[in-house]
Amino acid sequence: MPSLATAAPARQDLRRLLSGTRIDRLLLIAGLACIAALWLWLQREVPAGPPMVLIYHGKHLIAEYPIPSEGAPIHVQAKGDIGVSDIVIDTHGVHFESSPCIGKQCILAGTKHHPGDIIACVPNRILVSIRGSGARDDGYDGIVQ
Amino acid sequence: MNAITLDRPALDALHAQARWLSLLLAAIGLHVFESALPNLGPWFKPGLANIVTLLTLVMLGPRAAVSLALGRVLLGSMFIGTLLTPTFFLSLSGTIAATTVILAAWRWLPGTSLVGISLLGAMAHMVAQFVVVEHFYIQQPALYHLLPPMLLLSAVTGWINGALAAYLCARVRP
Repeated sequence: MPSLATAAPARQDLRRLLSGTRIDRLLLIAGLACIAALWLWLQREVPAGPPMVLIYHGKHLIAEYPIPSEGAPIHVQAKGDIGVSDIVIDTHGVHFESSPCIGKQCILAGTKHHPGDIIACVPNRILVSIRGSGARDDGYDGIVQ
Repeated sequence: MNAITLDRPALDALHAQARWLSLLLAAIGLHVFESALPNLGPWFKPGLANIVTLLTLVMLGPRAAVSLALGRVLLGSMFIGTLLTPTFFLSLSGTIAATTVILAAWRWLPGTSLVGISLLGAMAHMVAQFVVVEHFYIQQPALYHLLPPMLLLSAVTGWINGALAAYLCARVRP
């Protein structure tokens, strides 16, 4: 077991290592700049309009609904590769209610409501994406293909 | 009766093999431990097993590091029951990308410590996973909206893991 006398230099060593070399710091700055640029570029790609929930299976759009401002929740049964995912769209946003996958990462992702947010169930190949950036518009109830 | 004579391996070679095996076991243990951690985001793990890959690279060289990284994914997936599932292929693709970038940085980026190498490896791991998911599973470019926050997380964990690897290296290396 390390004594107090050896623990302090060990902590200093770790602190020194955490600061990295000059090249490490340059790499970090370059990496962070790339992430920020990618983030801004992706935000600009989000189309304007009312927030819409798009549900895909692989390349195919299964359903498209606006996020309702009031009323009962909408349940969408999205058929994927390994079974049916139950997706709920309500006034709070969209979330996976149930999924046949093992990890349940999609359910653990919780409710999403911001434009640009996504939830993916990789084993079932289902993607839920929120598009649009403007005010809510209840012009239509939904499109299902 | 003819006596069968076997060439005895050199003690140094046995020592290196024993070290590699003990590092592999440590990496598998960390792989299994990470799978039991609470969810930090889709396809996101802290990458603790990469610390062992970096240690192996410094202690035993590039070939040992590559075989350890691949062996860890294969055996670790068998232990947690994800072999040949999407999780396995994501892990494998991320590991191949990360190890390739780590080896390239180790060889061709002078002035970079394990911290910078680990940072690059962690980011390569994350990008590779997104590319594989987008190409083979989800097939929607909208998926990339998740990439920037996940890259930011992987940069942070990659930096910390690199510092931990350097710290351990200074103490473990003979």
